Amino acid sequence: MRTDKLAIGLGKTVAVAVILVWSLFPIAFLVLSSFKPGQDIFAVPPKLVFSPTVQHYVELWNGWGVFFSGLLNSTIITAGATIIAITTSTAAGYVYSRYSSRMLDASVMFLIIVRLIPPIVVTLPLFPIINAIGLNDTHIVLMVLYATFFVSLGTVLMRTFIDQIPRELDEAAQIDGAKRLTILRRVIVPLAAPGILAVAVFVVVFAWNEFLFAFIFTATKAKTAPLVISEMIGSIDGVDWGVLFAASTVQLIPVLLFVIFMNRYLVAGLTAGATKG
Amino acid sequence: MNKITEVVPFLAPVQILILSVIVIPSFYVVWLSLHASSFGQSATFVGLQNYIKVLTDPAFLLALGNTVLIVIFAVHLELALGLGMALLFASGLPCRRVLLVAVLAPYAVSEVIAVAMWRFLFDPDVGPVTAMLTWLGLPMLDWSFEPSHALIMIGLLTIWLHLPFTFIILYAARLAIPKDLYEAARIDGAKPFDAFRRVTIPLLGPAIVVALLFRYIFAFRIFSEVWLMTQGGPARSTEVVAVYLYQEAFSFNAFGTAAATAWIMVLASLLLATGYVFLLRKQVAGNAH
Repeated sequence: MRTDKLAIGLGKTVAVAVILVWSLFPIAFLVLSSFKPGQDIFAVPPKLVFSPTVQHYVELWNGWGVFFSGLLNSTIITAGATIIAITTSTAAGYVYSRYSSRMLDASVMFLIIVRLIPPIVVTLPLFPIINAIGLNDTHIVLMVLYATFFVSLGTVLMRTFIDQIPRELDEAAQIDGAKRLTILRRVIVPLAAPGILAVAVFVVVFAWNEFLFAFIFTATKAKTAPLVISEMIGSIDGVDWGVLFAASTVQLIPVLLFVIFMNRYLVAGLTAGATKG
Repeated sequence: MNKITEVVPFLAPVQILILSVIVIPSFYVVWLSLHASSFGQSATFVGLQNYIKVLTDPAFLLALGNTVLIVIFAVHLELALGLGMALLFASGLPCRRVLLVAVLAPYAVSEVIAVAMWRFLFDPDVGPVTAMLTWLGLPMLDWSFEPSHALIMIGLLTIWLHLPFTFIILYAARLAIPKDLYEAARIDGAKPFDAFRRVTIPLLGPAIVVALLFRYIFAFRIFSEVWLMTQGGPARSTEVVAVYLYQEAFSFNAFGTAAATAWIMVLASLLLATGYVFLLRKQVAGNAH
């Protein structure tokens, strides 16, 4: 019996170690390598002890100004997309939670079905239209695209979260003569904050990291950070790994910290999103 | 129906966004797919010719084959790993929250950066993983020349990026199974494996179906990982359906065939979804008896 327990304990420890290496090694390797001097990056076996240097960050700053404007574009676009997605899905989720009719139910079904359409499908018609109206390479295009591909999930999530707020609260406010918009802002939004944060995690991570739409709809002015990094990977003069690791670290750390701090909302959102539609 | 008109302003923004960005453009894609057109040319109606052209194009069939391989290989392996991890976590681990956050970490990583990492780790000349494989006497992944190796790389990368999603779905479902059921099974003399087969698997069924459905649909549209890893090369051998679509539209200006490809993708997703919803219904009904 004791050896059984020992064996199970040992097996679990090994399994946990494997899971940790699988999940974290690539990230840790990337971040550590960005601080390794020149040739140490390529040392086999990889050096764990080295004298850290910021030389790659200096090179990035001096040689890749476009990366930092990319970061600024990514920040603007992520903020815009998140605000659009949160406000619109909270308003719609509120209605879907509090009212029901055949038409409303049908339109929820419609929201769920829309998620089946792959994003690349809409690039075909949107590309010429966006060019024709002169919106190519602007922040607003990516903001709207990113927000739109999350409002269906966002609305369904917000409905699930708002369902948990007792109806008596908004009914009481209604008797006091509050308008529907006031009820939404004063009663629902504060209580549905966890849902709003869950939607925010999805949109922020997606908008900050997205590649396909940025690749198709931006060229120079609205180019996002992931797009600049993809150009570093595809550089014809050979990849400058040190600078690439530095840029990747700068792009990754903020969103990684965000996911770590918001992990509760992310888990709640993933679970509710998968079970409710 | 006074109420409905009152709530329309709350629903309108979401519906307008979805209609104007996703639904109407998708229907326009149907129109495009029935016409021959390219930039600066007026379109002519060609019926189903674009669909026939796509479905008989060896490049499309290869891309479809690659996509199906990636979906089958990656999604099922991912499900097995996610299920194993969910059961491991549910069996009781110290510092569970910290471990959970560690497992979630890849969720934050952009496809672009993930490709950068993996290209370096598996670099044939300087990659540390390549060095380790050689040291262990294993063959290395020659992904820049060997199409099958490139597909394995892409499959592994996709699993790495999406395992957090599959794991969380299954773990949450596992935690929702009441402890009493295991207690009852134990009292009835069930061995741990019997409990797993008779309690865990049937009750996780719906969550497994949901995780599979989502991952089939999302893995089927894979684009960035492939584009950034190989651009579909060498010689279009590692293309997937979305990369084929992109090439048709933006490299060859063939909007008609690109649109037909797009609708083939939409129909495949709908088919997968209805198939699974049907299975799920049957399963739920079966459990009720």
